[in-house]
Amino acid sequence: MRKKGYKYLVAIVILFVGIHLVQVQIDYRKKIENLESALLLMPGQMAGSLVLGGFKGLAADLLWLNMEDYWHKGQHYKILPLLESVAWLQPSYIIVWTIGGWHMAYNIYAEVKTEQEKQYWYEQGIKFLKKGLTYPFNANKYDIYFELGWTYYHKGKDYSNAVKYLEKATKYPHPEYVDDVLAHAYEKNGEISKAIKQWEFVRDNYVAFFDIATRMIYDLKTKGKATP
Amino acid sequence: MKKMWLIGLNTFRESMRKKTLYIILIFALIVIGASKLFSFLTAEEELKMIKDVSFSAIEFFGALIAIFGALAAISTEIERRTIYTLLTKPIRRSDFVIGKFFGVSLILLVNFVLTSLFFIGLLIFKKSMPDIEIFKTLILIFFELILIGGITLALGTFTTDAFNIICSFFLYIVGHLTSYGKEMVERAENVVVAGLADMLYTLVPNYENFNIRDKIVVGISVSWGYIGYTILYGILYICIALLIALYFFEKREI
Repeated sequence: MRKKGYKYLVAIVILFVGIHLVQVQIDYRKKIENLESALLLMPGQMAGSLVLGGFKGLAADLLWLNMEDYWHKGQHYKILPLLESVAWLQPSYIIVWTIGGWHMAYNIYAEVKTEQEKQYWYEQGIKFLKKGLTYPFNANKYDIYFELGWTYYHKGKDYSNAVKYLEKATKYPHPEYVDDVLAHAYEKNGEISKAIKQWEFVRDNYVAFFDIATRMIYDLKTKGKATP
Repeated sequence: MKKMWLIGLNTFRESMRKKTLYIILIFALIVIGASKLFSFLTAEEELKMIKDVSFSAIEFFGALIAIFGALAAISTEIERRTIYTLLTKPIRRSDFVIGKFFGVSLILLVNFVLTSLFFIGLLIFKKSMPDIEIFKTLILIFFELILIGGITLALGTFTTDAFNIICSFFLYIVGHLTSYGKEMVERAENVVVAGLADMLYTLVPNYENFNIRDKIVVGISVSWGYIGYTILYGILYICIALLIALYFFEKREI
């Protein structure tokens, strides 16, 4: 019996090799005959059925793959409903909020023509990021605060709000550059003494930032301005 | 061969006595018939809807019959203890397993022919003669159903009924999501991850290979080469399923 069992196993392995070879042929034919399944899953279709099946995460992942596809094709507007869907399916998937906010405030912002439209998409980005903060899991991480702070600072030139959110970001475990951006934001917001204090903190804690922090402190103390 | 055929025929007769399969069949026919309700659409759109709904119903309800039919094939014999009487006779265990597979395939064939004829009748009623592409789609659906039945039968040799149902449905879903798996293989930058994903892509039954209906309904034609390779894939996978079934059934203490 044992010998027979081995025979079955060997046959199964050989057949799987055959399967693999046939699958290669099928995939090739799918490609040349345009039979490949497009990654087009509308939120209400496949994702919906997966949600009913309890596969929320999987549904979000599949939609995310669609977003990738649209992203590579430059179809930025098509990403928007998918972003909302993924965020709805997995609100604690923090990347979807940060990428979504950035996508609206930067990519779509760059695509639209009028100032009015640009302002609209900037605000939509901010709104999306803030919506992400309404979920407790996200509100206890630096990511969305930083993205909000950066968007206010860099895109909106709204330094008081930038300071507000960057300060919040530094309250949670965060990478070094968050403190660096906060120091710049203090300066731009006219809070020079706070900026100097922040640069001193950066200089004393982050070796990689030692040189730049030293220079910034010097410039702020002598010229009252350091950030170009 | 005669023994296998007799076991198969007996499995078929046994299944015909069960009401569940009839209910599923009636549901399938109702859904196919209901596709006629899209008459508010333009003729072309309506025809597309009829094809879409009918292909899906034939496949989905066929899959239900495949799973429940194959599930009952071996477990019922064990539950009723008729298997003990059967195996005391000069019947090899391999004859028993393959015979059961024949029986399940026969059930699927009858169900498939009935639903397909109903669908074709509906098309003719709508003055749309079914073309060869319709038959290609139906052929692949049939092989998919046989494969589902084979896999469920194999699982039935070493698992409980509940686990078998869960596993079969899970494989049915995952097997239709393989295009995403392939996407991951292609996008994976890590060699190990790509290798693992590729292995999984080969191991999981790729039911999506059999799914050409979405293309056919929009007018894309599929080559016989593709049909041939997909049927070959189905046959190879059925062989694997049967070998797995034999392996576990021969090890099983009955």
